Amino acid sequence: MRRFWILPGRGGYLLPFLLSIASIAVVTAALLLMRDDLQIATIALLYLLPVGISAAIWGLWPGVAASLAAFFSLNYFFIPPYGTLLVHQSQDLVALVVFLVLTTSISQLVGRISRNLALARAREREATRLYELSFTLSKLGREDDILKSLAQHTLETFHAGRVEVYAESEPQPVLVRVPEEDGAEIPGRPTALVSMQGSRRLLGEIRLWRLDEPLEAVEERLLRIFASQGVLALERARLTASESRARILEESDKMKSSLLSSVSHELRTPLATIKASVTSLLSEDISWEEEARADLLAAIDEESDHLNMLVGNLLNMSRIEAGALKLKCRWNVLAEIAAVSASRARQTSPGHRIALDIPEDLPLVYVDDVLMEQVFNNLLSNSLKYSPANSVIQIQARRQDEKTIRVQVDNQGPAVSEADLEKIFDKFHRVTAADQVTGTGLGLSICKGLVEAHQGRIWAENLAEGFAICFTLPIHAGGEAPRMPDE
Amino acid sequence: MNNQPHILVIDDEHQILRALRTILTARQFRVSTAASGEEGLALAAASQPDIIILDLSLPDMDGVTVCRRLREWTRTPIVVLSVRDGEQDKVQALDSGADDYLTKPFSINELLARLRVALRHSAAQSQVDQKSVITAGPLTIDLAQHIVLRNDEPVKLTATEFKLLACLASNAGRVLTHGAILSRVWDPAEADHVEYLRVFVRQLRKKLEDDPEQPRFILNEPGIGYRFIADD
Repeated sequence: MRRFWILPGRGGYLLPFLLSIASIAVVTAALLLMRDDLQIATIALLYLLPVGISAAIWGLWPGVAASLAAFFSLNYFFIPPYGTLLVHQSQDLVALVVFLVLTTSISQLVGRISRNLALARAREREATRLYELSFTLSKLGREDDILKSLAQHTLETFHAGRVEVYAESEPQPVLVRVPEEDGAEIPGRPTALVSMQGSRRLLGEIRLWRLDEPLEAVEERLLRIFASQGVLALERARLTASESRARILEESDKMKSSLLSSVSHELRTPLATIKASVTSLLSEDISWEEEARADLLAAIDEESDHLNMLVGNLLNMSRIEAGALKLKCRWNVLAEIAAVSASRARQTSPGHRIALDIPEDLPLVYVDDVLMEQVFNNLLSNSLKYSPANSVIQIQARRQDEKTIRVQVDNQGPAVSEADLEKIFDKFHRVTAADQVTGTGLGLSICKGLVEAHQGRIWAENLAEGFAICFTLPIHAGGEAPRMPDE
Repeated sequence: MNNQPHILVIDDEHQILRALRTILTARQFRVSTAASGEEGLALAAASQPDIIILDLSLPDMDGVTVCRRLREWTRTPIVVLSVRDGEQDKVQALDSGADDYLTKPFSINELLARLRVALRHSAAQSQVDQKSVITAGPLTIDLAQHIVLRNDEPVKLTATEFKLLACLASNAGRVLTHGAILSRVWDPAEADHVEYLRVFVRQLRKKLEDDPEQPRFILNEPGIGYRFIADD
């Protein structure tokens, strides 16, 4: 139902007048058939009917037109002499004048009432639309959603052919267009255009195209209110976003300072050993036995390797934290990566036996081999630390299902309490007191970060005799397995 | 005539320069040092060293660029130094003509081994008769006759497997990047297909190594490529 009844669109102004005059013509024709049986007063009364109805349906001016038509018809057809506009008797003249005044007043009254009614309905509709819009917008937090919803509501409320909402946004301006699938060229200049003026600067604008008719003043006002609702929602969203950014910064600041204090401690421990050993060797007041010399040198060698691993882990941790980790994934043989890591661990810790159990037919995995090697390095170093000398550490890999490979690194070390199974992947979390075991407390949280960057999952398990860390890797992360060349 | 090999070290860290000068001089090398890329290039042209050690992070220019500029006029072996996580730089340097790489921090034994291999390789290249039979533990690889023996038993290799083994073995001791191997054994257009290499290396190891999971001859260099270890 459009507003056709009360305020017709272009080309529709004439129609209500024609219809109201036609209604008088119909009534006149009907009354003519009964002219001799009816008194003039009755006829005049019957004419009030079409006049009132015209005014009620089509408004004031068609009502007035009907009353004039009724006045002339009454005079012409029903007041003697018939067929002329002459009036012989003075009482007929009085009746005619009274009739004219009455019909005009009725049409005015009825017209105004129905106009007010229509206005009230329009206002109510406007209020409902506005309520719907502000209710929807208040639930949205993302700028994109707000713009999309604003455009959609505008499109529906104004029965527009197309609506665009343009917003000056960071890092680049956004343009939302509804209906979306409409890829056609924009038909010329928009029918209406309102800007969205924020509290500090221009935020954007709403452009509306409606082909059949221009916007009325009422509608333009509503459109401006829509725009201001959009501004409110956008500013609220931006405020929330900047607030949460500030909170993240604050938290990462806190994180950094706790990292720094832990790290400076961890870095100094190997440095202390190195410094003590070197200054001992440099001091001239003592001549070292060959064996003691070798011991000190071995300590320096080990501690500098330890320091190197520490620095590497810190670098990785900060990359994971900053989201700056770049994977250079390629097809790899998991056994090959594990073997490199295992042979390094065998060199540093000849006391343990490190076994690989990776089936020959395990599919290629699409991973960053350098980072994956660091996962194995950290898991092995963790196992070496916590399991007794001369025990076995095993790297096992199996195809778990169509989509996943499951890797397990297990050792014969002590079980970990249920409560700690999850926490061991947290930064700086240690199951054993810090002075009993060396390390940054970063190794496992780095493994977690790296495995998750490969879209895998990592967890810890207590075994019947020992402890295991398991992780999964998706098989199809790099698409279908590669084709092999012909021989 | 001085028989000591002349070594040029290009690195901007004075502590490293000092340490390397002391250590390498004690190992019977003649050592020159340069603290920047430009100085290194000038010194290389003026003094014609037998081998160059080049740090990839220099203050004035990219180490890879230094490598490329050196390769415009000299075949002097270059060993590049870089930190861990610099795999991309290392591969670029190797692909622009460097002979080998070392990750800082490194042990002196590793450095000496790299220098030895690079010097031997450049000496072999200048001679007409390159070694056509390479031995590595129980393996004998005859490049000319296309024969591979393991404990004196012939090993059956496919054409591609042999081509791959020959490529690795004739560069024994040196690292070869994935891209370099792929473009030599397959085709330069296939230089991205690391997966070919993975699969064929696995097949080779099964035929040649005692324990394919703990390879002794074909070693993996994560993020870089492969290295074949032959007898000295």
